[in-house]
Amino acid sequence: MNFLAPAFFAGLLAIAIPVAIHLINRERKVVVEFPSLMFLQKIPYRSVRRQKIRHLLLLLLRCLALALLVLAFARPFFERKHVGISATGAREVVILLDRSASMGYAGRFKKAQDAAKKVVSGLGQSDRATLVLFSTDASVATEPMATPGRVNAAISAAKLGSEATRYAPALKLASQILSASTQPRREVVLISDFQKVGWANHNEIVFPLGTTVTPIDLGGAVAADVAVSAVTTDRDSTGDRDRVTVAARLVNTGSAPKPVDATLAIGGRDVNTQRVVVPASGTKQVAFTSIAVPSGATKGVVRITPDSLTQDDVLNFTVAPDEAVPVLIVEPASPRPNQSLYLTRALEIGDRPRFRVDEKGVDALTPRDFDGRALVVLDEVAPPTGAVGARLRVMLDGGAGVLIVPGSERTETWSSDWRAIMPATIGASVDRSGDAGGTLSSVDYAHPIFELFNAPRSGDFSTARFFRYRTLAPAVGSVTPARFDDGSPAIVEKTVGSGKLVVWASSFDNSWTNLPLQPVFLPFVHQLGKHVGRYADPRPSFIAGEVLDLSRHGELTAQFTGGKAADTATTLIVEAPSGARERVSATGTNHLVTLHEQGFYELRGQNTAAGSGRPIAVNVDPAESDLSHLDPQDVVLAVTASSGQRQPGMDLNTATPQDQERRQRVWWYLLLGALLLMGVETALSNRLSKAAAT
Amino acid sequence: MTAVASPAANTFLDPAVLGKIGNLELLARSVVEGFINGLHRSPSLGASTDFAQHRLYMPGDDIRRIDWRLYARSDKYFIKEYEAETNTNLTVILDVSPSMRYGANAETGRLSKLTYGCFLAACLAYFSNLQRDRVGLATIDTDVVDFVPPSAKHLQHILHVLDRVERTGRDAKSAPGKSTLMEPLKKLSDSLKRRSLVALISDFYEDPEEILRALVHTRGRGNEMIVFHLLDPREIDFSFGDATNFIDMETGEKMPVIPEYLREQYKELVKVHTADLSKRIIGARADYAMFDTSKPLDSALFAFLAARQRFNRVR
Repeated sequence: MNFLAPAFFAGLLAIAIPVAIHLINRERKVVVEFPSLMFLQKIPYRSVRRQKIRHLLLLLLRCLALALLVLAFARPFFERKHVGISATGAREVVILLDRSASMGYAGRFKKAQDAAKKVVSGLGQSDRATLVLFSTDASVATEPMATPGRVNAAISAAKLGSEATRYAPALKLASQILSASTQPRREVVLISDFQKVGWANHNEIVFPLGTTVTPIDLGGAVAADVAVSAVTTDRDSTGDRDRVTVAARLVNTGSAPKPVDATLAIGGRDVNTQRVVVPASGTKQVAFTSIAVPSGATKGVVRITPDSLTQDDVLNFTVAPDEAVPVLIVEPASPRPNQSLYLTRALEIGDRPRFRVDEKGVDALTPRDFDGRALVVLDEVAPPTGAVGARLRVMLDGGAGVLIVPGSERTETWSSDWRAIMPATIGASVDRSGDAGGTLSSVDYAHPIFELFNAPRSGDFSTARFFRYRTLAPAVGSVTPARFDDGSPAIVEKTVGSGKLVVWASSFDNSWTNLPLQPVFLPFVHQLGKHVGRYADPRPSFIAGEVLDLSRHGELTAQFTGGKAADTATTLIVEAPSGARERVSATGTNHLVTLHEQGFYELRGQNTAAGSGRPIAVNVDPAESDLSHLDPQDVVLAVTASSGQRQPGMDLNTATPQDQERRQRVWWYLLLGALLLMGVETALSNRLSKAAAT
Repeated sequence: MTAVASPAANTFLDPAVLGKIGNLELLARSVVEGFINGLHRSPSLGASTDFAQHRLYMPGDDIRRIDWRLYARSDKYFIKEYEAETNTNLTVILDVSPSMRYGANAETGRLSKLTYGCFLAACLAYFSNLQRDRVGLATIDTDVVDFVPPSAKHLQHILHVLDRVERTGRDAKSAPGKSTLMEPLKKLSDSLKRRSLVALISDFYEDPEEILRALVHTRGRGNEMIVFHLLDPREIDFSFGDATNFIDMETGEKMPVIPEYLREQYKELVKVHTADLSKRIIGARADYAMFDTSKPLDSALFAFLAARQRFNRVR
């Protein structure tokens, strides 16, 4: 047993205290007056009072408690021989092979494979090896029990990925494998280019004690690289046909300017090539000639002259005509004049996104009218019943938005099904015309509807007057983004299924409010339409490793579901650039696709011919172009000991006394024991005192 | 019974005590000299109505005391002597040294040795006064603190002094320091002009040899001595619990003591002391009685009187 703070043993002198108390007896504050000490003085003093110890058990308890306290403060620990640093014995070797996109630089991945095979060839008869391939994620390519031959085969079969470098998942996986291992020696071989962007110190990942970490660094040298980091598309709708101008941003991480040819290809055909010189450690913007927006989603590629890292020399994107948000406004059978005029006009103005608005009377409504609608506005009509109502409900559950404007409607007569899901109980109308109307006083600017107006001078709702509105009592689980000045909710929303159900307390024409006459009305209606209709800006490309949620990208699936947003039964096929296929659905449980590969994925229906589906562009993470190098020892030090404990240059296989003491925590048990003894001592001495008193 | 009517007398003389002692009066009269009038013989023979003896006429005798009838029968001159019933002096000497204050306990109602001694002195004084004896009182510690000369009229004064001593714990005039009997007793015996019965009430925390020297000095002046040795029960059994500091009430000396380990030796020492004291006092022809203040005062007196009777019979 060793001690971290042996100086505390001086505290053992404190044991003399109880002994002295027992021998001499401590002086009491209470004194007894006695007629004469004549007889007491005749009794031999020393022989009686200083040499006889009272209550030996008490003395022992006190001494033991003190000794335990001192021992606890001395921080004892047992020095153990580390299993992993045994010079002999079978090894558990985990080979972490980096297959991120950056490993494609100048044949580094091939070198990595060779290095891995070399490690495998060095395995002994009883050694075990596990191959872990990692990029953004880490996966076990071969189980620990695999033969060297199988491991070699797995190394050969490993392919360079397109994802970014992340060390943490791989290190965590290696830690788990080693922790479960019973082999006396443990070793991790980390084969990587040690790209700096992939490293974030994770203190919680610590390998088992004695693990040998061998970094094989394939990076190191200053890497020069030119990459296409971003592509922007600028639409122009002034002519007969929309045109789009594509611009690419080139990045040079090298120390010398580099001339490159940048080519724009649309639909597989080169459209424009420009020769530019990308400055050293700088960027260059390349604007290609504008092209007419194709009728459907089309593949676009910007590529530059290939260099050492070819994967970031290409950037894929899609160009597609703007998708209008289909809106249906349902009016009463006999609407007021211009009842939906303000709403319709406001939605139709603007192109990002465009709203395609149709109006229809409630009496002429059919279930098919809801097909493909992202937003349905029930403008002072009751929620439909029967087949129409059921269809609307399915639409709502499937992700469409329903905006209800109750107006003067008698909500008591609404069907119970709809009332059960309403975000608020709609009460009587409030007439504020007598006091110049109410205002929106409590607005949640963090809410998506109002976040546009959060900045100063971004919209003034205070000028809008609400002369009449319905009182709303929000239901449990609903959200109230805005309230009138009397505290009554103005908007209440609730998520029903995948869609949103929203109630607007006032009207969208100027009969109950002058809001439509205010400048803020247009952006407000657009924000409301985008939010309730769950509109998301279409993305021209995705990053490798990203998970695509098809339920949130209706623009990708719309052409295959026939606008049936709620039709979860529609099965789609996602085909990766490598040809791997995966069956998914637009919504429901199987609507997530992990985009592993760089290139164009194709999303299509079951009956759609290959090549005619919707392309989804996937690119290498731009961060992979940053080839800044990380010192491998930083990783090694971080995972072989807890942070702050180990200094560079220390023997990595020897735990410090502090480490061992912290792990064992013997002092804690000693302290507990001392406290227990003190408790027993207190109880015992109380009993003895009582016995003596009686 | 004028003393009983006085406030001071009422304080000291418990009617129950008086009743019990009153029942013992006939017994006491026959055995105890000096306690009850008529029981103690006069120290000197003189004129009296009780005939004692005849003796031959010696030149110088008063010829009026010649028994002429006997001369007629025997033709010799005989002097007729009578046994005189005289009153004696009782001097109660009460030790009021600080050690005598020990034992008072308001919770248990236990009396201090001083209070107990005051009660005892009052009883003795009262009874003696009842017998027309002259009663005096002296309070002592290192010196004579207060002295009331024996007189048949001093009972009230005595009771007043005792009352004051009992109330204040000790006489204000008492001097500090270790009390010794020798000095005050020597002074007192010098001041006693007539032979007296001396009742000494003390706790006798002194070397028995010293005590005896003081008593012998007093006894040598022709005085009779009755020694009342007062002790508190805890002074006898040393029934203290926890270890603590003991302070000598007379000297102020402090001493840490673990009673548990000293008890037996202490008790043995006290036993030896009292035995030695008793032996020496009795050997000096004085009476000795040790009183435990926990015992009722009347039973203590009774025990003493009975012991006195036995002692007298033996002598």
